Amino acid sequence: MTENISESAPDLSINLGRIKLKNPVITCSGTFASGIEYNQFYNISNLGAVTTKSFSLNKRLGNSPPRLCETAGGMLNAIGLANEGIYYFINEQLPVLKNLQVSIILSIFGEDNNEFLRIAKEVNSIKDDIVAVEMNLSCPNVDKGGIAFCSMPDHVESLINSVREILDIPLIAKLSPNNDNFIETAAKARNGGAEAISLVNTVIGTAIDIDNFKPKLGNIFGGLSGPAIKPIALAKVMQLARENILPIIGMGGIFYWQDAVEFMIAGASAVGIGTLNFVEVDAGEKILEGISNYLLEKNINNLGEIIGKVFKKW
Amino acid sequence: MVLGNLMKILNGEILLNKKYGENLYKMEIFSPYICKNALPGQFVNIKCCYEGMLDPLLRRPFGIYEIDKRFNVFTILYLIKGKGTLFLSKLKKGEILNFIGPLGNAIKIVTGAENYLLVGGGIGVAPLCLIARYLTDLQKNVYFMAGFKDELFFSWENDLIKIVRNYRIFTENGSFGEKGLPTNFIREHIDQYKKFNFICCGPREMLKALQDILQGKNIAAIALMEEMMACGIGVCMGCVIKIKEGNNAFTYKRVCSDGPAFNLMEVIFD
Ligand SMILES: Cc1cc2nc3c(=O)[nH]c(=O)nc-3n(C[C@H](O)[C@H](O)[C@H](O)COP(=O)(O)OP(=O)(O)OC[C@H]3O[C@@H](n4cnc5c(N)ncnc54)[C@H](O)[C@@H]3O)c2cc1C
Ligand SMILES: Cc1cc2nc3c(=O)[nH]c(=O)nc-3n(C[C@H](O)[C@H](O)[C@H](O)COP(=O)(O)O)c2cc1C
Ligand code: FES
Repeated sequence: MTENISESAPDLSINLGRIKLKNPVITCSGTFASGIEYNQFYNISNLGAVTTKSFSLNKRLGNSPPRLCETAGGMLNAIGLANEGIYYFINEQLPVLKNLQVSIILSIFGEDNNEFLRIAKEVNSIKDDIVAVEMNLSCPNVDKGGIAFCSMPDHVESLINSVREILDIPLIAKLSPNNDNFIETAAKARNGGAEAISLVNTVIGTAIDIDNFKPKLGNIFGGLSGPAIKPIALAKVMQLARENILPIIGMGGIFYWQDAVEFMIAGASAVGIGTLNFVEVDAGEKILEGISNYLLEKNINNLGEIIGKVFKKW
Repeated sequence: MVLGNLMKILNGEILLNKKYGENLYKMEIFSPYICKNALPGQFVNIKCCYEGMLDPLLRRPFGIYEIDKRFNVFTILYLIKGKGTLFLSKLKKGEILNFIGPLGNAIKIVTGAENYLLVGGGIGVAPLCLIARYLTDLQKNVYFMAGFKDELFFSWENDLIKIVRNYRIFTENGSFGEKGLPTNFIREHIDQYKKFNFICCGPREMLKALQDILQGKNIAAIALMEEMMACGIGVCMGCVIKIKEGNNAFTYKRVCSDGPAFNLMEVIFD
């Protein structure tokens, strides 16, 4: 009986370059901390991977409040990449996560190339404990007047290349939907040595308080996430998938398992659950179950059969 | 990490959703788990739309107002502010509420402190009521001061009477209780409260005024703070407030998981 079930259970495992995951459900950076809190709600080691909050070298306080604002079908955040610094991750959180046997994608960012490289050096000592490093390239590059790293494709190539020289584990480039040249950036990221692309980060947005005429966010502008951005994110993922550059972790507004399946049909090999974690704290588990049931019902044995299928139907 | 292993996703039946005033409601929810595990100062994060709906997207935080362990019922006292609280006000007895809790830290009671002055402004009185009950049960001397704009909280006084003997109610327009602000009264009579521990919750202006009054007086004061929340469990870093750290320096603390209670004298209001 048990054998029958396992025979009929669809194969949910996926590969993103050298990254091998037992299933495609990943949590998005910044929406899951390092996962430890969520393990109180479900066993987070059942996830394909947990992507951590983006870590800088040293602790960062982040933006002044208010940092949040809800909008129709979404939310704006201007956290300002507040985090405890990479040493906190290595010394305090990693031991707990290892114990829980979680597949970890470590998200990192720097204000300039130098900070990225210094973090990479630190991460080298723990590289066997994590499955990949995701480079958050949507953050501002202080050396270049604060414009996002990912808006400069050539720069991205050389940055990833130099991180790779220090750190030999799979690298994921996380790109923003706010730059039109994201396909070129993805191609350069591949040339630099990235093995997968995470798409999308939040969409730039704002909101204004009509009583006091001021922006609702302390930082004025923020990043929009949640269902409101799903069609945008899905289109970007599809546009990138069509170019066949690198495997994609698709994210942006996934709230139901059906959304996750849509992203995969559009060409994503894995999916990121973000804002939903705030609302349904056991979302990762639920989305995974939904995808699995969908495959069973459709008699699909392996995820490869649906990834990018939209292109075969055109 | 501050959070205990106690928070859970819960469903509880609504036993009562009663109008207390024009846009003021009290809701009773059946939840043995909350009644067993929640402590004064903690809150719950409530889903304010039906299953499968996306609007409003985020949960809404509410302080726990009462806990009745005999019947496994806890209550919240809430004001209709926008779509989330409007949704709550429409729910009927028998419907199921989805919430996460208990969240945040319980209020810390220092041993040796016998006298407490609780100062609530507007809906800020809600979490203070559970704290008042708890302190009264500990045989502490509790004095409750509440300030409102108008008579909206008129029927709430019936709840308060059951918890504390000593209280004073103020309204800005004088329509209920004494005319004026509790902070003005405290400022004038501060010498009477030198041996009191303050616990307060309410609008920023009220908390700021209290901080100003207590400056240099060496009186312990706790403030229950509010901020917009997304996760409610300490992961998004969205609900921070500015807290003094060292000389002229500050740090950000999360209201949901480092608070909601903070040392009032360390809060930076700017
Ligand atoms: C720890 C904590 C405990 C709280 N306890 C209570 C309580 O016991 N009773 C009660 O009535 N309210 C309480 N609140 C406030 C309550 O959460 C908000 O009134 C509610 O979220 C408003 O939701 P809405 O959809 O009705 O309004 P929205 O349409 O979201 O907003 C309407 C107005 O309310 C303000 N608001 C929205 N969210 C919050 C928030 N989290 N905190 C403060 N203001 C907010 C907005 O700025 C806006 O001005 C508490 C808040 C916190 C953080
Ligand atoms: C509160 C918040 C914090 C975030 N922090 C980060 C971060 O530190 N690094 C990063 O790469 N993305 C960050 N993101 C972006 C998410 O990882 C994700 O790309 C985006 O929210 C879109 O997915 P969603 O709509 O499912 O949330 C953050 C998003 C939110 C809402
Ligand atoms: S609401 Fe997310 S950290 Fe407090």
